[in-house]
Amino acid sequence: MSLDAQSLINPNPIIHERKARTQKEAAAAVAEDGRELIDASEIFDHIRDITDPEHPYSLEQLNVVEEELISVDDRGSHVKVMFTPTVEHCSMATLIGLCIRTKLLRSLPPRFKMDILLSPGSHSTEAAVNKQLNDKERVAAALENAALLDMVNRCLAGAPASG
Amino acid sequence: MATLAHSLEPLQTLEGHTDRVWHLAWSPDGTSLASCSGDRTVRIWQQSRIEGRGWRCAAVLEDTHTKSIRCCCWSPGGTHLATASFDGTTAIWQLQGGIWEEISKLEGHENEVKAVAWSPCGNFLATCGRDKSVWFWERGLGDEYDCMDVKHGHSQDVKSIAWHPSRELLASCSYDNSIKLWANDEADWVCVQTLEGAAVGHSSTVWSVAFSRDGRKLASVSDDCTLRVWSVEWSEGCPPEPHCSLAACISGHHSRCIFTVDWSAQGLIATGDGANSIKLFGQPSLLETAAAAAAAAAAGSDPAANSSSGYIQQAADAAAEPGTPQPAGEQPAPAQQQNGELYDAAAAAAAAAAGDAAAAWECLCSVQQAHDADVNCVRWHPSRQGLLASAGDDGLVKLWQYKGLGQAAAQQ
Repeated sequence: MSLDAQSLINPNPIIHERKARTQKEAAAAVAEDGRELIDASEIFDHIRDITDPEHPYSLEQLNVVEEELISVDDRGSHVKVMFTPTVEHCSMATLIGLCIRTKLLRSLPPRFKMDILLSPGSHSTEAAVNKQLNDKERVAAALENAALLDMVNRCLAGAPASG
Repeated sequence: MATLAHSLEPLQTLEGHTDRVWHLAWSPDGTSLASCSGDRTVRIWQQSRIEGRGWRCAAVLEDTHTKSIRCCCWSPGGTHLATASFDGTTAIWQLQGGIWEEISKLEGHENEVKAVAWSPCGNFLATCGRDKSVWFWERGLGDEYDCMDVKHGHSQDVKSIAWHPSRELLASCSYDNSIKLWANDEADWVCVQTLEGAAVGHSSTVWSVAFSRDGRKLASVSDDCTLRVWSVEWSEGCPPEPHCSLAACISGHHSRCIFTVDWSAQGLIATGDGANSIKLFGQPSLLETAAAAAAAAAAGSDPAANSSSGYIQQAADAAAEPGTPQPAGEQPAPAQQQNGELYDAAAAAAAAAAGDAAAAWECLCSVQQAHDADVNCVRWHPSRQGLLASAGDDGLVKLWQYKGLGQAAAQQ
């Protein structure tokens, strides 16, 4: 096994093409008060450019996040994001999940409840990772850990600021 | 018979924290409410001396913890406050000359301390944390606290702890889905029971545990969206050993993780959850319907109840004294709500006859949007009936007045 193979969890990830940015369609769903409803494509725009913790590619380019795996209920203030690590024993899975959650925490109105989950069957310790990612106390503590917060911020640096 | 109305009315919103409020603690005499937050401060709230002004912030405790303060707890005498922080330390505070001073710091946990609790006698302090351990501290001379024992029984972070109100017994609950009971055996603390497993235990993280004020029951709440009530009984031996058994699993009311639970003096359970709601649970058949059923039976409105009217008082007595053996051959049906208004008198009486363990728990009322974010903590006032405080991710502390059973009980 080469040095590279040892240091990288997935030395040869498949790179996918970036999708064209979705144009805001005129027919976008609108709430009773005239406000445009937040939909899956908007959530995807928030997280697609997050940089992978170990590759200089975005989560979109690595197919870690996909619009099809995002569901949003704006009226119910609920977002569910499923993501797929490039390899199923990926030790970066919790960090990726933390990045997605942090980006959405910073981007969405606070009324939103978030469930960040591995896509089913995508990870060898799926249940354990999911449990950790959705424990708010662990998330809060992680974001008070300077080293971890620094890693998260570096991954988020590639993603445009929320707007 | 009128509808049994239960409600939780908002009284006041206390603003001041600049981050989520994690935990609340009423002082034993009920004059102060402490709240702690992700903003690394504790705020002490007291009722204004001016009539009608409500509660206001009387003090801010800061500059001690370097990370979120997860939990706060008063000493039984109300003279000291303990705070547990994600910075890995537990601080002891005392009011000195009108100013809250940090007088001691307990170090030892490897990382986040998640809860701190003073034993009822005040001699022991327990802490628990991310390092999967529960620590027992003994008060030495002055304000020194010495570590007595460190227990590693849980396999994951220990989320919270609660002391039995009158015995040296601690309950701890964990990310490992279990609840453990710890009893004092001279200098050591031993795990006397673990509540877990598919048959009775929670299926996800247990976030909070609370003993009823008489110590006969334990409530636990979990990420599995259930509230569980356990009966606490003691063996005859010396020293007597506790044994908990599942009395009720209450599900279908919470749609997201339940973070907090507390018992009122009247036996009402309050819970707060990740769907922003506060809910109150009680056993109407025990607390009120026995009386209502007796009245209904006396009026002859229900033939079924009528035939058992003599039995109802016996049932109520049995409920009041759970040690009374169940009447043989009478397997009670759970109390049912009829048309959402009337309780079936006979069924209620039968449920009461089975003792409080079997009496049906019901959600008495629910405030759907109690906070604009997760509800992290609910705490009943120690003496003022029906006064409830709540804390949320919205950075607010709220005060509520429960109306319903408490009033009925007070009128009797």
